[in-house]
Amino acid sequence: MEEEKRQKFRQALRDVKNLPTLPAVVMKLTKMAEDPDVTTEQMGRVISKDHILGAKLLKLVNSAFYGFPQRISSLQSAIILLGFSVIKSLIISASIFEFMEDNDRELWEHSLGCAVVCNVLARRLAVSDPEEISTAGLIHDIGKVAIKMELAQEYREIEAMVHDRGISMREAETEVLGFNHAEVGGWLAKTWNLPSKLVEPVAMHHNPAGAKKEKLAAAIVHVGDIIIRGMGLGHGEDIWVPALAQSAWQLLKLTAADLDEILLEVEEKLWEVKGFSLDIMAEFEAKAD
Amino acid sequence: MQKILTAQATEGMVLAREVEAPDGRVLCGKGTVLTSSLILRLQQMDIPSVTVDGHPLEVAGELTIEAELQAIEARSSRVTSTPPLMYIKKKIMERAVAARHA
Repeated sequence: MEEEKRQKFRQALRDVKNLPTLPAVVMKLTKMAEDPDVTTEQMGRVISKDHILGAKLLKLVNSAFYGFPQRISSLQSAIILLGFSVIKSLIISASIFEFMEDNDRELWEHSLGCAVVCNVLARRLAVSDPEEISTAGLIHDIGKVAIKMELAQEYREIEAMVHDRGISMREAETEVLGFNHAEVGGWLAKTWNLPSKLVEPVAMHHNPAGAKKEKLAAAIVHVGDIIIRGMGLGHGEDIWVPALAQSAWQLLKLTAADLDEILLEVEEKLWEVKGFSLDIMAEFEAKAD
Repeated sequence: MQKILTAQATEGMVLAREVEAPDGRVLCGKGTVLTSSLILRLQQMDIPSVTVDGHPLEVAGELTIEAELQAIEARSSRVTSTPPLMYIKKKIMERAVAARHA
């Protein structure tokens, strides 16, 4: 791979011209978050000015992958409970996944499913911020969306290689582009100024040993992706469960009994996520009527 | 058990899970036999989906249990030397079989 070509692809993805531009509200909220005098109430009001965004956010916040026992009915309490960086990445995902819901339902369901597994794992391991890890799971494949949107021709080439040669998507990506979707996702998350708790797990979900600060978060998203693929919510013709990084597995210290319970819990919660897609379908049908 | 759209529900189906209103109130319990008036009421209340016993609806593209087990086997075929993943595979297969009988 010539360095020049690689740079060109890199630049195209960094510019993300076709990705839905970050809603102006994110910029505004970022500014507000830096101001110590701004209250969460004021931030909630800014979000709810966009009714669709407000409704979408509450729907995401109340979905199975955060697993809050009670319903969160106001944006203000969502900001307090989830923290600003999670809300910010949810606003970003809401706009990016809008594209996915219509164009790549499978990747959307894989992402929702991964968020569920990450949540179950994070709670079992009693990490301090399970919501951030669920969110990292939700956006872990965001690099795939970016490649598909910005480098459509190369994406088709990658898909054809997976189909013809039975290699994994990330192998094909590396061959065609010189980097894979995890790295792309990491760049994007960085561009959006997301915290390293979100950037590292996204960037390192296929190489958790490469995480520097957030080793446990990266390990959880790595294993979450593997488990959800094992359960059949994968993406594309790259059907294979990816290799497990020993270092990540050792970090989680899960026993067979843990795994039994985790799988049950995930299955239970996936019913709710299936409902999430069904809800979307019902909305869609209602619109078509 | 199977999750279906309320619009797909028909009389005589049995609820495998309780139906909750959006505010968390339980509307009808597990084991309730659906009647046409009940289905109508759920639709009027904008309950999008319900979970029922058995597997009453054929979903386009859904696999037979044999094909599903084969698919699980196929996607795990490149990690056969990783014991934890083989354990997970075994468990997923057991759950797949159990789900058809529930």
